[in-house]
Amino acid sequence: MTAAAAFKETPAAAPQSGARLLVRTLERLGVEVVFGYPGGAIMPVYDALTGSGLKHILVRHEQGAAFAADAWARSTGKVGVCMATSGPGATNLITGIANAMMDSVPMVCITGNVATHLMGTDAFQEIDILGVTLPIVKHSWVVRDPADIPAVIEEAFHVAHSGRPGPVLVDLPKDVQVGMATDDYGFHYPNEAEPLDHAAIAEAEQLIRAAERPLIYVGGGVKIAGATQALRDFAERTGIPAVSTLNALGSIPTDAPGFLGMLGMHGTRAANEAVQDADLLIVFGARFDDRATGKLNAFAPQARVIHFDIDPAEIGKLRAAHVPVVGDLKAGIEALTTRVAKAPLAIDPWIIRSASAARRHAFRYDAPGEGVYAPALLNELSRAAGDRFIAACDVGQHQMWVAQHCAFSRPEAHLTSGGLGAMGYGLPAGLGAKMANPDAHVVTVSGDGSFMMNIQELATLRRYGVALKIVLLDNSSLGLVRQWQELFFEENYSEVDLSDNPDFVAVAQAFGVEAFRISRREEVSAGIQRLLNAPGPCLAHVLIDPKENVWPLVPPGKSNAEMMHDTRFEGDI
Amino acid sequence: MTDTIHITIDRADGSLQRLIGLVERRGFHIDGMSLSDEGAMRRVSMQVRGRDAGRCADNLGRQIDKLHGATRVGFAAATYGFQTGAAA
Repeated sequence: MTAAAAFKETPAAAPQSGARLLVRTLERLGVEVVFGYPGGAIMPVYDALTGSGLKHILVRHEQGAAFAADAWARSTGKVGVCMATSGPGATNLITGIANAMMDSVPMVCITGNVATHLMGTDAFQEIDILGVTLPIVKHSWVVRDPADIPAVIEEAFHVAHSGRPGPVLVDLPKDVQVGMATDDYGFHYPNEAEPLDHAAIAEAEQLIRAAERPLIYVGGGVKIAGATQALRDFAERTGIPAVSTLNALGSIPTDAPGFLGMLGMHGTRAANEAVQDADLLIVFGARFDDRATGKLNAFAPQARVIHFDIDPAEIGKLRAAHVPVVGDLKAGIEALTTRVAKAPLAIDPWIIRSASAARRHAFRYDAPGEGVYAPALLNELSRAAGDRFIAACDVGQHQMWVAQHCAFSRPEAHLTSGGLGAMGYGLPAGLGAKMANPDAHVVTVSGDGSFMMNIQELATLRRYGVALKIVLLDNSSLGLVRQWQELFFEENYSEVDLSDNPDFVAVAQAFGVEAFRISRREEVSAGIQRLLNAPGPCLAHVLIDPKENVWPLVPPGKSNAEMMHDTRFEGDI
Repeated sequence: MTDTIHITIDRADGSLQRLIGLVERRGFHIDGMSLSDEGAMRRVSMQVRGRDAGRCADNLGRQIDKLHGATRVGFAAATYGFQTGAAA
């Protein structure tokens, strides 16, 4: 009998191996795809995968599995799943787990480990992965009895997805994977709704009515809470201008009236000026990250703060809230809208002033020269892809250009390593997102530094025929570090030169991925069409000016009021 | 200034390590600690001191509240008191 037949013929109530209990539980929880890489200590699980309903995607490095699972989760709202063996397999997951933790992404990471009697003996490929990952998981478990596997896995999914989401880790020693037990677990976690704090919402309404210059500060929590439409209703019905964090881009459509763009280090001038001038910040699901606030004690110096968040630990962590509203964002925003929208706010001068600033400081795309201007390319790309666009960014200048210049109509369309800033995220994230959203135009936007960090996943694209599109912006350097060295280290360019990069077109083609190169502005439009229309995975290698910088920029440690900018690229066209 | 926090924690793998790591990672010295048996649970009493003036025990308490398998007991309830920012 084949393994597949054996799997199907084993009744759920019969004693089964721990590995098979794991697989059956994942199936029961509705898991469709698992990203992973096998090895000695997780071989029983891989044996049990055969014939199951789970689709396993064999990546070429465990970090790729974690990033792909992360993007699967971000783009679907479901829990991403990745797995790896013990020792180096488990440690290779770490950057991906930390990435998910920083950006509150629900992810279940399953690791094999040496048998329990070998744990603590420095056995081959033994790592205390539970100990190693303690600071970067929402919770973690070592399962010591196969009978506990269904309950632990169910709890793991619940913890990962509930409240403020995050990654969890389940470590399965090898003897637990092969030990026999019966699946008689029947408990399912109820959906728990926190009661709304109506008194706090009433206080919030009073502050809003008293404000002359209120501003909405949108964080990634809005998307996570499924509160995007509630937020849009609030913004539209009140007319209050809005700014967004990196992770919240798309929560309010880029082109919506009143949307001033991203705030912070590479935010728009209109957004940062509005924050500095506001007399009230209405914060939805944001955590006052230092990249958003700049110098904290100079951030929004005139503003009172209303802070909505599901995580009580975020309230007052970095900035005081005059009115904290802890609980589900969607319900909270809807209740606030009901109250505030009953009567118009007297903020027309502020709305007009904000709109005027947005026009005055709008990005321009008529940069001089014949070479490819990356911001213009990205803007055109996102508009050509339209509502089907999903950008999976790497980290560096290109990441900031995507945030500044791409048009997003929904927050799930912008996948970026916001908190951790992990180079190497883009390619495996694009893989995960495209697998989850096969009808979308999923485009990985990478740089020549980031791309090399997980370039091996081109093989995964090819193997599964994943039609991910890749825009590789190549400035032959670590551009953002080079920019900082230019501006803050007296042009001492230390270890940023990548001019000996390989021929990326040839490399992609060697992996079996279609690829082409563009280097002149006149090639951009045709290149975008070729990329979007390619039937399979396709890479556009784009040569850009190595000296191009990201503007505006708030210098590190400075107030958002102290922006450096290049007026050539701002203003009414 | 030293604050004392009392917590009950379960006996799961890593639970004590998780608690201690959280306290230190969030910027607090642990000046004293005792651990006692309470049946299925364990009770931890911990004297903690912020590494700088910006560290707020209330905030630490709310972080501890997020730990699974740990419950704060015998510590002033969170009051949303704040230590930084323009609106303090």
